[in-house]
Amino acid sequence: MTQPHASAHKEEGRPHERTIKRIFLMPAVIYLLLLSVFPMLWSLSISFTEYQRGAMRTAVDVGGDASAGTPAGAETPTGQGIRLTLRNYERMASDQRLHTAALNTLTYVIGGVLLQYVVGFLLALVLHQDFWGRNIARVIFLMPMMVTPVAAAYMGRMLFDSRLSPQAHLQRLLSSLIGWEISIPWFGDGRWATLAIILIDSWQWIPFMTLLLLAGMQSIPEDIYEAARVDGASSFQILRKITFPLLLPISLTAILIRGLEIFKIIDIIVVTTGGGPGSATESLTMYIFRTALTFGNFSYAAAISYALLVLVVLFATLFLMLGRRFARQSIA
Amino acid sequence: MRRKFWQRTLLYAVVVLWSIVCLFPFYWLFTTSFKTPLAVSRGPRYVPYVDFQPTGDHWRYLFNEQGRTLARHFRNSLIAATGATVAAVILGAMGGYGLARYRYHWRRFFNWRNDNIAFWIISQRFLPPALFVVPFLLLYSWLNLIDTHIGLIMAYTMFNVPFALWIMRDFFMSLPIELEESALVDGATPWQAFVRIVLPLSAPGLVSVAIFSFVFSWNEFLYALMLTNYEAITLPVLIAGQNNTRGIQWWYISALTLTAVAPVVLIGLMLERYITRGLTAGAIKG
Repeated sequence: MTQPHASAHKEEGRPHERTIKRIFLMPAVIYLLLLSVFPMLWSLSISFTEYQRGAMRTAVDVGGDASAGTPAGAETPTGQGIRLTLRNYERMASDQRLHTAALNTLTYVIGGVLLQYVVGFLLALVLHQDFWGRNIARVIFLMPMMVTPVAAAYMGRMLFDSRLSPQAHLQRLLSSLIGWEISIPWFGDGRWATLAIILIDSWQWIPFMTLLLLAGMQSIPEDIYEAARVDGASSFQILRKITFPLLLPISLTAILIRGLEIFKIIDIIVVTTGGGPGSATESLTMYIFRTALTFGNFSYAAAISYALLVLVVLFATLFLMLGRRFARQSIA
Repeated sequence: MRRKFWQRTLLYAVVVLWSIVCLFPFYWLFTTSFKTPLAVSRGPRYVPYVDFQPTGDHWRYLFNEQGRTLARHFRNSLIAATGATVAAVILGAMGGYGLARYRYHWRRFFNWRNDNIAFWIISQRFLPPALFVVPFLLLYSWLNLIDTHIGLIMAYTMFNVPFALWIMRDFFMSLPIELEESALVDGATPWQAFVRIVLPLSAPGLVSVAIFSFVFSWNEFLYALMLTNYEAITLPVLIAGQNNTRGIQWWYISALTLTAVAPVVLIGLMLERYITRGLTAGAIKG
């Protein structure tokens, strides 16, 4: 990164300058303190209390079966007194549904990131070539990224329908051709549903990977390739020894951004499976949402949201550590 | 460089195949919005006039009978997204300029300097929104902000400011400082230099930031679901709510969904280069 303030104004200027530099930065900082830091700390303190509230009505039913989320501290009436407790954190250890949700979330993150990176990389390679219609192709490839995730989820639901969709039609044709029944129960089976959700998310976000990696490829100077070709390197060798290593930094950034975004997944699941069958496709965000709004268990929801935060931070740290080590090895 | 025939063929095959993957869902949505319920329930029908007779009923229903509801929710989305975009662009441009041009040293706060502050701000963007479910519900019901436009705008601004600031900081750092310095020498105040000289030069960056803020806010689901229940419901929540009313009416949902995604997809088609630039500015150098 370039030195941002190498030639910048002096640090300790006149009082006037101290005021003006505060005027520039402080609105954003204060805004984030009020609407991000303060709520987070508040939520942390709530997670150590027993705070219940009646179920709330939302415009979309994300209820599901309420049995698994029966409030733990139901005997404590709504926010009476403040007694500190670790109960919410203890409860997490034995909450089967929470473990499923955590596992599902990790599956979405890892599956989604892998698929999106591999396909995104291939498409970036394609767009990096010179061919007629390249600009049109770039715009077409970008389109899924703009779509509202809820809308993408409905499209996916239509296209993964086990009876009325073109791919179901194709499955029937194939079955009659090979005389062997193929019928994928996309949303009827937990594993297939997980795959469908990953596919929908990937359809939408592969363009993100493609765009970033393409920009990275375009920033690699042409003479490196020339030199390699003169030395008689094959296309595959160039890809493996030059393009891929030089793209590692941007690849890591892109994967990290996508990974962190997939941790937030909820809308696609609400629309396609509603978390089902059972709670087989429920994500952590969805479980937190339900715990707070449907079951009204605010303090437990707050506690889980901190567990999610820990998971996210762990993911980012581990990923960056491994990524940097990998980058060093592949360049050396 | 000349490429072999089979390489060109493979290239075009991938391009065409992936274009189909990208476009077919839109085609399916579009044609479904013209299918009769019968044409939908009798299995896949592909081409209008060939294997089904199109009808404009669902669109008429959407814009006539449901016209007022649709207009209200469309307006909600527009207000929330526009408000959050304006706020994020203003806060982001100011903060980004501060971090690009001045030195900060928060002695009483972890001894943070510019890079720490910038990192802290961008990290806010990646916090899981689930963290805010409980405190926002409490805060908003206490402030009577549930189901209001201003409430949505506040929440959306919160998650738009970090990357707006990040992208703008990056943009300002790439601008030569001499122009501002000569303006300061000519007697302009720093604020005047910022508004009259820097901002006009930063139009491309501002456009990128505005597009991203708008699209993110337009598409946002979790906060809208949590913080609205009737008056201020935005389009994504309206669409998701079609899930369980009177069974799934694919033909109607298709028309509704197309209406909701049309603005952002059009933005994407027309302003593609700003999107690419904004994305790469934020990620490559960061």
